[in-house]
Amino acid sequence: MKFDLDAIYVEEDCRDTPLARRVIARAQSIAPIDFIEDGRIAARPRADVADSFAAGKRNIVIMRRRAPFLMACPAGSAKFACCGYLVLTLSSNCPMDCSYCFLQEYVADNPGFQIYANYEDAFVELEKLSASAPARHFRVGTGELADSLAMDSLTGLSIDLVNFFAARENLTLELKTKTDEIENLLTIDPRGNVLVSWTLSPRRVFEACEHRTASPSQRIEAARRVFDAGYRVAFHLDPIIAYRDAERDYVELMDELFATIPPAKISFISMGGLRMTPALRTAARRRFPKDAMLVGEDVLAEDGRYRAFTPLRLRLYKILADKFKTAGAEVPSYLCMEAASVHERVFGGPTSHPSIAGERLAIAR
Amino acid sequence: MMRDETTAAAIRACAASRHLDEFHTEKWLAMLTPSRMALLDVAERLKLRTGQLVATIDLLDEIEIREGASPAATLAREEIRRACLSQGSAPWRAAAFIEALRRIRFPQLQAAMDRLSSEIAALKLPVGVSVVLPKDLGSDELMIRISARTGRELEKLLEALADKKADLIRIVNKIGGEDDA
Repeated sequence: MKFDLDAIYVEEDCRDTPLARRVIARAQSIAPIDFIEDGRIAARPRADVADSFAAGKRNIVIMRRRAPFLMACPAGSAKFACCGYLVLTLSSNCPMDCSYCFLQEYVADNPGFQIYANYEDAFVELEKLSASAPARHFRVGTGELADSLAMDSLTGLSIDLVNFFAARENLTLELKTKTDEIENLLTIDPRGNVLVSWTLSPRRVFEACEHRTASPSQRIEAARRVFDAGYRVAFHLDPIIAYRDAERDYVELMDELFATIPPAKISFISMGGLRMTPALRTAARRRFPKDAMLVGEDVLAEDGRYRAFTPLRLRLYKILADKFKTAGAEVPSYLCMEAASVHERVFGGPTSHPSIAGERLAIAR
Repeated sequence: MMRDETTAAAIRACAASRHLDEFHTEKWLAMLTPSRMALLDVAERLKLRTGQLVATIDLLDEIEIREGASPAATLAREEIRRACLSQGSAPWRAAAFIEALRRIRFPQLQAAMDRLSSEIAALKLPVGVSVVLPKDLGSDELMIRISARTGRELEKLLEALADKKADLIRIVNKIGGEDDA
């Protein structure tokens, strides 16, 4: 996939890093390259444009990350049952533009598309994590504040990452994407330690909301190809949007998936209903005023987010959970950012402790 | 029929008198003439306050996106006209008007609330016990409130509740997405 870029900014201190060299070599014909003192300034919102978030997506900033790379998933909260996911922030923002994306609020104050040149420092943090509990397994993903693979043809990051994780028995890397940017992955051996996951939505959601992403069918086909190459695969139905005919469309999407990849070979499928803070909802509605998917029957839920009203949302979860159960081989599943009571209603049993859930998902299939 | 610039001036005057923010004022002005005039008529007739005007503009916009119905068409619907013309003070009619708009904007939610409320009413629980649905079905928590002043009264209420145990479990399960909720 190719994305439009206005400019690439490189911090002076980073110009000789392997990542900056790769991007400069590959991007010279794509966008002008500028060397700057401090990438944080280039990542700030631009005052001269109406939509600084969208502008940020077209300005790559190669810079040093000043904060730790590894952290607990920011979606985690005592209010929700948690999957124990760990987040590795190698970049921030995304060239795609989904109307429901939480980044519209989360990175509103620094929307520049930052890619961190000192990513090898992350490996030190991962080594410490691995050594801290050799008997435990951890699932670590790079797809929280960015798409894991969207710019991989430019950065080549996936190769270093997969090679690092392939040599660590108790670490599983999850690369989460809405693209079909898998060519680098096909050149290396993940040795069972890498999960590639796709966020999947029905075609109607893709067409209405998921701008500049690969189509659902392209994502499923890409999943088949990496699966054939030895990667574990997983999927995220997140956000699930409760529009009219959603039940039918999500079930058909699962039929398409299971016809392409045997359910018994899928590591897991997560589910999460569309949820938006009031600020995110305002930002999204202003950026995408005609998107019908943003005006579902969403109400202010007890966690302060707009969500499809409870019976409607939970009914969709249950239909899909039943679909996973009857798919031939039960597909492991969990809910993202939902209360323990919702898990119990959907899956019929209590939730696991985050560390146990994380471990289970790290080693699933 | 007022000319467009006349309606624009009237809308700006109405918006200014209510301290309506620029975003919603512009949204109102961006409506086609029949819609902007219909809204002006309702706003003045019902003396909509700022928050009510904001809610109305948002609800009309969202209904248009969901249903393809212009604000003028929505405001001409029977249930809306009924709310606007009903007996009662302007604030009461304004509240009824917003509620009628919400019913159009959230049809499945309203249907689910109506069904669950009827089921709760059908329990015929004694005075002193109330079953409260979560606001807008925004959670899966059903609240049961008991108020009693004596031990004997409390015992009777608890017995009445125990008699309805199966029905109450069915209702809480429906809030959780079971059956037709």
